[in-house]
Amino acid sequence: MRLTHQFGPMALACALTAAVCQATADDSKVEVFTDETSGLLSWKASHPGFSLQFIQLLPDYVRAVFGARGLPAEVVDTMAGYCVFGTIIQNESDAPLSYRVSDWRYITADGQLHPVKTKSQWLKEWEARGVAAFRWLLLPDDQTFAPGDWSQGFTTLQLAPGTAFKLRYQWTLQGKTHEDTFEDLRCAAATKP
Amino acid sequence: MKTLSKICAALRLPSRSRLPAYILLTALGLQAPGLHAELPSPELSHELTRLSTPLPAPDFTLPDMDGEARSLSDYRGKVVMLNFWATWCPPCRREIPSMESIYQDLQKDGFVVLAVNEFESTDHVFAYTGQLSVFPTFPILFDSDSKISQDYDVKGLPTTLLIDKQGKVVYRAVGGRDFDHPAVRDIVRKLLAAD
Repeated sequence: MRLTHQFGPMALACALTAAVCQATADDSKVEVFTDETSGLLSWKASHPGFSLQFIQLLPDYVRAVFGARGLPAEVVDTMAGYCVFGTIIQNESDAPLSYRVSDWRYITADGQLHPVKTKSQWLKEWEARGVAAFRWLLLPDDQTFAPGDWSQGFTTLQLAPGTAFKLRYQWTLQGKTHEDTFEDLRCAAATKP
Repeated sequence: MKTLSKICAALRLPSRSRLPAYILLTALGLQAPGLHAELPSPELSHELTRLSTPLPAPDFTLPDMDGEARSLSDYRGKVVMLNFWATWCPPCRREIPSMESIYQDLQKDGFVVLAVNEFESTDHVFAYTGQLSVFPTFPILFDSDSKISQDYDVKGLPTTLLIDKQGKVVYRAVGGRDFDHPAVRDIVRKLLAAD
Protein backbone atom coordinates (compact mmCIF):
# COMPACT_ATOMS: atom_id res chain seq x y z
CA MET A 1 0.00 0.00 0.00
CA ARG A 2 1.40 3.41 -0.87
CA LEU A 3 0.36 6.88 0.17
CA THR A 4 2.07 9.61 -1.74
CA HIS A 5 2.80 13.22 -0.90
CA GLN A 6 3.96 14.76 -4.13
CA PHE A 7 5.27 18.18 -4.98
CA GLY A 8 6.65 20.24 -7.83
CA PRO A 9 5.97 18.76 -11.27
CA MET A 10 3.78 16.16 -9.63
CA ALA A 11 1.09 18.82 -9.40
CA LEU A 12 -1.61 16.77 -11.04
CA ALA A 13 -1.14 13.85 -8.70
CA CYS A 14 -1.00 16.32 -5.83
CA ALA A 15 -4.29 17.84 -6.84
CA LEU A 16 -5.84 14.40 -6.81
CA THR A 17 -4.65 13.80 -3.26
CA ALA A 18 -4.96 17.34 -1.99
CA ALA A 19 -5.59 16.31 1.58
CA VAL A 20 -2.03 15.08 1.99
CA CYS A 21 -0.14 17.53 -0.22
CA GLN A 22 1.79 20.61 0.67
CA ALA A 23 3.40 23.09 -1.67
CA THR A 24 7.18 23.34 -1.46
CA ALA A 25 9.65 25.35 -3.41
CA ASP A 26 11.67 22.42 -4.65
CA ASP A 27 10.91 19.32 -6.65
CA SER A 28 10.44 16.70 -3.96
CA LYS A 29 7.98 14.16 -2.66
CA VAL A 30 7.41 11.84 0.25
CA GLU A 31 5.87 8.43 -0.13
CA VAL A 32 4.57 6.29 2.71
CA PHE A 33 4.41 2.52 2.35
CA THR A 34 2.76 -0.14 4.48
CA ASP A 35 4.20 -3.61 4.29
CA GLU A 36 1.21 -5.85 3.74
CA THR A 37 2.80 -8.79 5.55
CA SER A 38 4.18 -7.09 8.63
CA GLY A 39 2.05 -3.93 8.77
CA LEU A 40 5.22 -1.92 9.25
CA LEU A 41 5.56 1.53 7.70
CA SER A 42 8.32 3.02 5.61
CA TRP A 43 8.84 6.51 4.28
CA LYS A 44 10.74 7.56 1.18
CA ALA A 45 11.74 11.16 0.53
CA SER A 46 12.76 11.83 -3.04
CA HIS A 47 14.62 14.99 -3.99
CA PRO A 48 16.40 15.88 -7.20
CA GLY A 49 19.37 13.51 -7.24
CA PHE A 50 18.86 12.19 -3.72
CA SER A 51 16.54 9.85 -1.90
CA LEU A 52 16.25 8.79 1.72
CA GLN A 53 14.19 5.91 3.10
CA PHE A 54 13.28 5.21 6.71
CA ILE A 55 11.86 1.75 7.39
CA GLN A 56 10.32 0.75 10.71
CA LEU A 57 11.96 -2.20 12.47
CA LEU A 58 10.41 -4.14 15.31
CA PRO A 59 12.39 -4.45 18.56
CA ASP A 60 12.28 -8.24 18.22
CA TYR A 61 13.79 -7.98 14.75
CA VAL A 62 16.58 -5.72 16.03
CA ARG A 63 17.18 -8.15 18.89
CA ALA A 64 17.35 -11.09 16.47
CA VAL A 65 19.72 -9.38 14.05
CA PHE A 66 22.17 -8.12 16.68
CA GLY A 67 21.85 -11.36 18.66
CA ALA A 68 22.85 -13.32 15.56
CA ARG A 69 26.10 -11.34 15.45
CA GLY A 70 27.19 -12.84 18.75
CA LEU A 71 27.03 -9.58 20.67
CA PRO A 72 26.52 -9.77 24.46
CA ALA A 73 22.93 -9.84 25.71
CA GLU A 74 23.17 -6.40 27.33
CA VAL A 75 24.31 -4.86 24.04
CA VAL A 76 21.52 -6.60 22.16
CA ASP A 77 18.94 -5.43 24.71
CA THR A 78 20.26 -1.88 24.55
CA MET A 79 19.93 -1.82 20.77
CA ALA A 80 16.42 -3.30 20.90
CA GLY A 81 15.48 -0.60 23.42
CA TYR A 82 16.13 2.09 20.83
CA CYS A 83 13.80 3.14 18.06
CA VAL A 84 15.59 1.64 15.07
CA PHE A 85 14.95 2.27 11.39
CA GLY A 86 16.41 0.62 8.35
CA THR A 87 17.77 3.55 6.35
CA ILE A 88 18.61 3.69 2.66
CA ILE A 89 20.40 6.64 1.08
CA GLN A 90 20.86 6.84 -2.65
CA ASN A 91 22.73 9.18 -4.95
CA GLU A 92 20.51 9.50 -8.00
CA SER A 93 22.41 12.44 -9.44
CA ASP A 94 25.35 12.57 -11.82
CA ALA A 95 27.60 14.29 -9.28
CA PRO A 96 29.16 13.40 -5.91
CA LEU A 97 26.74 13.52 -3.00
CA SER A 98 27.50 13.40 0.72
CA TYR A 99 25.75 13.28 4.07
CA ARG A 100 26.68 13.36 7.76
CA VAL A 101 24.42 11.74 10.33
CA SER A 102 25.72 14.22 12.90
CA ASP A 103 23.94 16.98 10.94
CA TRP A 104 20.58 15.29 11.38
CA ARG A 105 18.14 16.06 14.22
CA TYR A 106 14.94 14.40 15.35
CA ILE A 107 12.25 16.61 16.76
CA THR A 108 9.98 15.35 19.51
CA ALA A 109 6.43 16.46 20.24
CA ASP A 110 7.67 19.10 22.69
CA GLY A 111 9.60 20.77 19.87
CA GLN A 112 13.01 19.77 21.23
CA LEU A 113 15.77 18.89 18.76
CA HIS A 114 17.89 15.82 19.46
CA PRO A 115 21.02 14.56 17.69
CA VAL A 116 20.85 11.14 16.07
CA LYS A 117 23.24 8.72 17.73
CA THR A 118 26.00 7.92 15.28
CA LYS A 119 27.74 4.66 14.52
CA SER A 120 30.99 6.03 15.94
CA GLN A 121 29.25 6.76 19.23
CA TRP A 122 27.89 3.21 19.37
CA LEU A 123 31.29 1.71 18.55
CA LYS A 124 32.91 3.79 21.27
CA GLU A 125 30.37 2.50 23.79
CA TRP A 126 30.86 -1.07 22.70
CA GLU A 127 34.61 -0.72 22.82
CA ALA A 128 34.34 0.53 26.41
CA ARG A 129 32.41 -2.66 27.21
CA GLY A 130 35.11 -4.75 25.57
CA VAL A 131 32.85 -5.77 22.72
CA ALA A 132 34.42 -6.51 19.36
CA ALA A 133 33.58 -3.69 17.01
CA PHE A 134 30.90 -5.11 14.76
CA ARG A 135 30.35 -2.03 12.66
CA TRP A 136 28.39 -3.15 9.68
CA LEU A 137 24.72 -2.97 10.60
CA LEU A 138 24.67 0.71 11.50
CA LEU A 139 24.47 3.49 8.94
CA PRO A 140 27.95 4.98 8.40
CA ASP A 141 28.47 8.37 10.06
CA ASP A 142 29.21 10.02 6.76
CA GLN A 143 29.77 9.02 3.19
CA THR A 144 30.46 10.59 -0.16
CA PHE A 145 28.68 8.78 -2.94
CA ALA A 146 29.67 8.73 -6.57
CA PRO A 147 26.82 8.65 -9.10
CA GLY A 148 24.87 5.42 -8.72
CA ASP A 149 26.18 4.70 -5.23
CA TRP A 150 23.86 3.97 -2.36
CA SER A 151 24.01 2.57 1.11
CA GLN A 152 21.86 1.20 3.85
CA GLY A 153 22.13 0.67 7.58
CA PHE A 154 20.32 1.06 10.86
CA THR A 155 19.58 4.47 12.33
CA THR A 156 18.94 4.63 16.08
CA LEU A 157 16.87 7.14 18.03
CA GLN A 158 16.32 7.18 21.77
CA LEU A 159 12.54 7.03 21.61
CA ALA A 160 9.91 4.66 22.95
CA PRO A 161 8.05 2.28 20.64
CA GLY A 162 5.24 3.96 18.75
CA THR A 163 6.55 7.51 19.32
CA ALA A 164 5.79 10.06 16.60
CA PHE A 165 8.50 12.53 15.67
CA LYS A 166 9.96 14.63 12.87
CA LEU A 167 13.37 14.18 11.35
CA ARG A 168 15.42 17.02 9.93
CA TYR A 169 18.03 15.72 7.50
CA GLN A 170 20.69 17.26 5.31
CA TRP A 171 22.68 16.26 2.27
CA THR A 172 25.24 18.01 0.11
CA LEU A 173 25.18 17.87 -3.66
CA GLN A 174 27.59 19.73 -5.91
CA GLY A 175 28.83 21.76 -2.98
CA LYS A 176 25.38 22.93 -1.91
CA THR A 177 23.88 21.71 1.34
CA HIS A 178 20.17 20.94 1.30
CA GLU A 179 17.82 20.35 4.19
CA ASP A 180 14.33 18.93 4.56
CA THR A 181 12.14 17.32 7.20
CA PHE A 182 10.17 14.13 7.47
CA GLU A 183 7.07 15.51 9.14
CA ASP A 184 5.40 12.41 10.49
CA LEU A 185 7.73 9.51 11.21
CA ARG A 186 6.79 7.02 13.88
CA CYS A 187 8.79 4.35 15.68
CA ALA A 188 7.59 0.79 15.23
CA ALA A 189 5.27 -0.52 17.90
CA ALA A 190 6.70 -2.77 20.60
CA THR A 191 5.18 -5.78 18.85
CA LYS A 192 3.94 -6.60 15.39
CA PRO A 193 0.88 -4.47 14.47
CA MET B 1 32.79 -29.33 4.63
CA LYS B 2 35.28 -29.09 1.83
CA THR B 3 33.79 -32.07 0.07
CA LEU B 4 30.23 -30.95 0.60
CA SER B 5 31.10 -27.48 -0.66
CA LYS B 6 32.47 -28.86 -3.88
CA ILE B 7 29.54 -31.20 -4.35
CA CYS B 8 27.08 -28.35 -3.90
CA ALA B 9 28.99 -26.20 -6.35
CA ALA B 10 29.18 -28.94 -8.91
CA LEU B 11 25.56 -29.95 -8.65
CA ARG B 12 24.15 -26.40 -8.21
CA LEU B 13 21.55 -27.83 -5.91
CA PRO B 14 18.22 -26.01 -5.82
CA SER B 15 17.29 -24.31 -2.60
CA ARG B 16 14.53 -26.82 -1.84
CA SER B 17 17.10 -29.54 -1.34
CA ARG B 18 18.86 -27.46 1.30
CA LEU B 19 16.24 -27.35 3.98
CA PRO B 20 18.73 -27.85 6.82
CA ALA B 21 20.54 -24.67 5.82
CA TYR B 22 17.28 -22.74 5.77
CA ILE B 23 16.45 -24.04 9.23
CA LEU B 24 19.84 -22.91 10.46
CA LEU B 25 19.37 -19.45 9.03
CA THR B 26 15.97 -19.20 10.65
CA ALA B 27 17.47 -20.20 13.97
CA LEU B 28 20.11 -17.50 13.56
CA GLY B 29 17.47 -14.88 13.04
CA LEU B 30 18.34 -14.19 9.45
CA GLN B 31 15.09 -15.58 8.15
CA ALA B 32 12.64 -14.25 10.69
CA PRO B 33 9.20 -14.83 9.18
CA GLY B 34 6.73 -12.09 9.94
CA LEU B 35 9.10 -9.93 11.93
CA HIS B 36 10.14 -7.80 9.05
CA ALA B 37 9.83 -7.90 5.30
CA GLU B 38 12.88 -7.36 3.11
CA LEU B 39 13.82 -3.70 2.96
CA PRO B 40 12.45 -2.11 -0.22
CA SER B 41 15.90 -1.75 -1.72
CA PRO B 42 16.57 0.32 -4.83
CA GLU B 43 16.97 -1.36 -8.18
CA LEU B 44 20.49 -2.58 -8.81
CA SER B 45 22.24 -0.16 -11.10
CA HIS B 46 25.30 -0.93 -13.19
CA GLU B 47 27.33 2.25 -12.73
CA LEU B 48 30.92 1.85 -11.62
CA THR B 49 33.00 4.88 -10.70
CA ARG B 50 36.39 5.13 -12.34
CA LEU B 51 38.98 6.44 -9.93
CA SER B 52 40.67 9.55 -11.24
CA THR B 53 43.90 8.24 -9.73
CA PRO B 54 44.26 4.45 -9.54
CA LEU B 55 45.33 3.35 -6.07
CA PRO B 56 47.59 0.43 -5.19
CA ALA B 57 45.49 -2.43 -3.81
CA PRO B 58 46.94 -3.47 -0.43
CA ASP B 59 47.87 -7.13 -0.42
CA PHE B 60 46.16 -9.42 2.08
CA THR B 61 45.91 -13.08 2.97
CA LEU B 62 42.60 -14.51 4.15
CA PRO B 63 41.18 -18.00 4.61
CA ASP B 64 38.64 -19.27 2.12
CA MET B 65 35.63 -21.51 2.77
CA ASP B 66 37.89 -24.53 3.02
CA GLY B 67 40.32 -22.85 5.39
CA GLU B 68 43.02 -22.44 2.76
CA ALA B 69 44.94 -19.17 2.71
CA ARG B 70 44.49 -17.00 -0.35
CA SER B 71 46.38 -13.80 -1.05
CA LEU B 72 45.44 -11.00 -3.38
CA SER B 73 48.94 -11.19 -4.81
CA ASP B 74 48.16 -14.74 -5.97
CA TYR B 75 46.01 -13.09 -8.63
CA ARG B 76 48.51 -10.52 -9.92
CA GLY B 77 48.18 -10.33 -13.70
CA LYS B 78 44.45 -11.01 -13.51
CA VAL B 79 41.56 -8.57 -13.27
CA VAL B 80 40.06 -8.91 -9.79
CA MET B 81 36.58 -7.97 -8.65
CA LEU B 82 36.94 -7.51 -4.89
CA ASN B 83 33.51 -7.57 -3.26
CA PHE B 84 32.90 -6.88 0.45
CA TRP B 85 29.67 -8.45 1.66
CA ALA B 86 27.69 -10.21 4.39
CA THR B 87 24.77 -12.61 4.37
CA TRP B 88 22.42 -10.29 6.29
CA CYS B 89 22.88 -7.50 3.72
CA PRO B 90 20.01 -7.64 1.16
CA PRO B 91 21.79 -5.95 -1.76
CA CYS B 92 24.82 -8.18 -1.17
CA ARG B 93 22.58 -11.18 -1.61
CA ARG B 94 20.91 -9.73 -4.67
CA GLU B 95 24.12 -9.12 -6.56
CA ILE B 96 25.58 -12.60 -6.03
CA PRO B 97 23.92 -14.18 -9.10
CA SER B 98 25.28 -11.44 -11.36
CA MET B 99 28.78 -11.87 -9.93
CA GLU B 100 28.57 -15.59 -10.52
CA SER B 101 27.39 -15.05 -14.09
CA ILE B 102 30.19 -12.68 -15.09
CA TYR B 103 32.72 -14.87 -13.27
CA GLN B 104 31.56 -17.95 -15.15
CA ASP B 105 31.86 -16.20 -18.50
CA LEU B 106 35.14 -14.34 -18.05
CA GLN B 107 37.29 -16.38 -15.67
CA LYS B 108 38.85 -18.18 -18.64
CA ASP B 109 40.13 -14.78 -19.82
CA GLY B 110 41.82 -13.98 -16.52
CA PHE B 111 38.99 -12.52 -14.47
CA VAL B 112 38.41 -13.49 -10.85
CA VAL B 113 35.86 -12.56 -8.21
CA LEU B 114 36.95 -12.53 -4.57
CA ALA B 115 33.98 -12.14 -2.22
CA VAL B 116 35.27 -10.98 1.14
CA ASN B 117 32.76 -11.76 3.86
CA GLU B 118 32.69 -9.46 6.86
CA PHE B 119 32.51 -10.67 10.45
CA GLU B 120 30.69 -13.97 9.87
CA SER B 121 31.74 -17.54 10.46
CA THR B 122 32.56 -20.11 7.81
CA ASP B 123 29.72 -22.34 9.00
CA HIS B 124 27.24 -19.51 8.85
CA VAL B 125 28.21 -18.48 5.31
CA PHE B 126 28.34 -22.08 4.17
CA ALA B 127 24.80 -22.62 5.43
CA TYR B 128 23.70 -19.45 3.67
CA THR B 129 25.24 -20.26 0.31
CA GLY B 130 23.73 -23.71 0.57
CA GLN B 131 20.23 -22.33 0.22
CA LEU B 132 20.96 -20.13 -2.80
CA SER B 133 19.52 -21.09 -6.17
CA VAL B 134 22.76 -19.86 -7.76
CA PHE B 135 25.69 -21.31 -5.84
CA PRO B 136 28.75 -19.03 -5.95
CA THR B 137 31.75 -20.85 -7.36
CA PHE B 138 34.11 -17.89 -6.94
CA PRO B 139 36.29 -17.82 -3.80
CA ILE B 140 34.65 -16.55 -0.63
CA LEU B 141 37.19 -15.20 1.86
CA PHE B 142 36.69 -14.41 5.53
CA ASP B 143 37.65 -11.03 6.95
CA SER B 144 36.59 -12.03 10.44
CA ASP B 145 37.93 -8.93 12.19
CA SER B 146 37.10 -6.50 9.33
CA LYS B 147 40.74 -5.46 9.10
CA ILE B 148 40.96 -5.82 5.33
CA SER B 149 37.81 -3.78 4.76
CA GLN B 150 39.32 -1.04 6.90
CA ASP B 151 42.50 -1.15 4.84
CA TYR B 152 40.33 -0.55 1.78
CA ASP B 153 38.33 2.20 3.52
CA VAL B 154 35.06 0.32 3.11
CA LYS B 155 32.31 2.05 5.05
CA GLY B 156 29.24 0.12 3.96
CA LEU B 157 28.23 -3.19 2.44
CA PRO B 158 28.31 -4.11 -0.29
CA THR B 159 31.30 -2.28 -1.70
CA THR B 160 33.01 -3.57 -4.81
CA LEU B 161 36.37 -2.68 -6.33
CA LEU B 162 37.86 -3.58 -9.67
CA ILE B 163 41.60 -4.17 -9.56
CA ASP B 164 43.58 -4.15 -12.79
CA LYS B 165 46.35 -6.49 -13.85
CA GLN B 166 48.94 -4.22 -12.27
CA GLY B 167 47.28 -4.51 -8.88
CA LYS B 168 45.68 -1.08 -8.82
CA VAL B 169 42.14 -0.23 -7.82
CA VAL B 170 40.61 1.40 -10.87
CA TYR B 171 36.83 1.25 -10.29
CA ARG B 172 34.64 1.40 -7.21
CA ALA B 173 30.94 0.85 -6.49
CA VAL B 174 29.16 1.42 -3.18
CA GLY B 175 25.82 -0.37 -2.92
CA GLY B 176 24.39 -3.28 -4.87
CA ARG B 177 25.02 -3.60 -8.58
CA ASP B 178 24.05 -5.77 -11.51
CA PHE B 179 27.48 -6.98 -12.55
CA ASP B 180 26.05 -8.99 -15.39
CA HIS B 181 25.09 -5.78 -17.20
CA PRO B 182 26.76 -5.27 -20.60
CA ALA B 183 28.30 -2.00 -19.41
CA VAL B 184 30.10 -3.78 -16.58
CA ARG B 185 31.19 -6.58 -18.86
CA ASP B 186 32.63 -3.99 -21.26
CA ILE B 187 34.65 -2.44 -18.46
CA VAL B 188 36.01 -5.81 -17.37
CA ARG B 189 36.82 -6.83 -20.94
CA LYS B 190 38.73 -3.59 -21.50
CA LEU B 191 40.72 -4.20 -18.34
CA LEU B 192 41.42 -7.76 -19.47
CA ALA B 193 42.58 -6.51 -22.85
CA ALA B 194 44.89 -3.88 -21.39
CA ASP B 195 48.55 -4.62 -20.79
